[in-house]
Amino acid sequence: MLALDRISKTYPNGVHALARFSADIKQGEILAIIGGSGCGKSTLLRAIAGLDRASSGTVTLDSEAISSPHAKIGIIFQEPRLLPWLSVADNIGFGLADLPAAERREKVARALARVGLADKAQAWPRELSGGQAQRVAIARALVPQPEVLLLDEPFSALDAFTRRDLQDHLLDLWADTRPTLILVTHDVDEAVVLADRVLVMRPRPGRLFDQIEINLTRPRDRNSPLFENFKRSVLTSLDRSLDRSVPDRDATQGPGQAMWW
Amino acid sequence: MISDAPVLQQSSDTAESAAAPSRLSRYARPMLGLLLPLILALGWEFVVWLGWSNGRLVPPPSRVFATIADLARSGELVRHIAATLWRVGLGFAFGVIAGTLLGAISGYWSLARRLLDPTVQALRAIPSLAWVPLFILWLGIFETSKIVLIAVGVFFPVYLGVMGAILSVDRKIFEVGRVFRLSGPAMIRRILLPAVLPAYVVSLRVGLGLGWMFVVAAELIGASEGLGYLLLDGQQLGKPAQIMAAIVIFAILGKLTDWLIEVAAAPFLRWQDAFGRAKGA
Repeated sequence: MLALDRISKTYPNGVHALARFSADIKQGEILAIIGGSGCGKSTLLRAIAGLDRASSGTVTLDSEAISSPHAKIGIIFQEPRLLPWLSVADNIGFGLADLPAAERREKVARALARVGLADKAQAWPRELSGGQAQRVAIARALVPQPEVLLLDEPFSALDAFTRRDLQDHLLDLWADTRPTLILVTHDVDEAVVLADRVLVMRPRPGRLFDQIEINLTRPRDRNSPLFENFKRSVLTSLDRSLDRSVPDRDATQGPGQAMWW
Repeated sequence: MISDAPVLQQSSDTAESAAAPSRLSRYARPMLGLLLPLILALGWEFVVWLGWSNGRLVPPPSRVFATIADLARSGELVRHIAATLWRVGLGFAFGVIAGTLLGAISGYWSLARRLLDPTVQALRAIPSLAWVPLFILWLGIFETSKIVLIAVGVFFPVYLGVMGAILSVDRKIFEVGRVFRLSGPAMIRRILLPAVLPAYVVSLRVGLGLGWMFVVAAELIGASEGLGYLLLDGQQLGKPAQIMAAIVIFAILGKLTDWLIEVAAAPFLRWQDAFGRAKGA
């Protein structure tokens, strides 16, 4: 289980990006974090990944505190970030350097086949389309079998068709080993398609505003009325989160802030 | 992916149809570059042959090649070339080692950059030939001062190239290394080195070019052998053909050594070579 306990982050330039964010995420859960720009979504994800230190608060994975990148936590960024000097196969095997060569080759081959790019093994990253490159990035993150996979707006740079295709593909891959997925997105459709639970954040400083459970069986029909209902409730919550006149539901805010008058 | 199949088919078709004209242009294009110098050389040869000019100050190509052949026959040519190559080789090696080390230190470590870089930049602003009298006083008129002068010339472009390349490595690529928990040495080997290699090769080639420039300066100052000595000797004894011969050999050696670097680096930079690889694959 991944536990986020009152995580705050203030950048050196004084920007208060994240305020006392807490959440418990079950093993194998798919969690979507959604919110307007500047609500600290990416800051939160980078803190969980151990790439940035939180100013206060703790991230614990199976009672182990996370303060630097961890073997059980993988991350996929908005851009594929493939290493241009490595072939597609070597990119996927990048995190497996400690394994014997034969075992690494076998795992890479399996992962390549799994993401449907077996014929691209020896291609260079620049020869791939955007969707293919992001699939390689997904394979690279999944091949060391992380317990937690973080995704920072992974499909936002892709066109609508490729995005749908990759969302389905991600669910398919997730079903193999069922890691915990934490997905940061600004796409309501994406959040409702993928997540078991959607956390809505509000900006300045970034904090938790609302959470919505998506009780839909998978595979989900994007056109069903139930799906539309969930989408609408996430959208409504998102709108309210951006409306300054709506008070925080979170009672842990300091009393002074609520009674500024 | 099934959906990819037609796209693949198409791209290999276009690659095939593009292969024929590209093979032609691969050889035709360098030939095109040879056209102008060839016409000029043959034209001048013709002018002298017709007797419109006696070709004493500007000897025709045939006389230049005859001079080269004479020098080669007497064994002089090999001696001069060996002396010059030795100086350039040593100077280049020292310059590259120093430039790479200091460039890497100031690129990697910002405190070192603040301490070191202003001084290096100030030294760089000095025209390197201004060092010559000092080097001769310090190191004597023989080999040491020449090699140091060449090394100084090679040092600056390599230093700048390495530092600049390290500073411009994409932070996002670095983060990939951090996510996979690479140790310091592994980060350097697996992320930093491949990332800076293209810029490094360019800086080596620029450095080598300057090395050739400075070997001439060093040999003009005082030498009893070397291609630069041939230049000076030709001037003092009024042998323009010998000067031209030395210039031609400089051009050939310069191009050849530059090509060696390019060829040696090519296997490591295949991922970058946008045209050759995409069509060959």
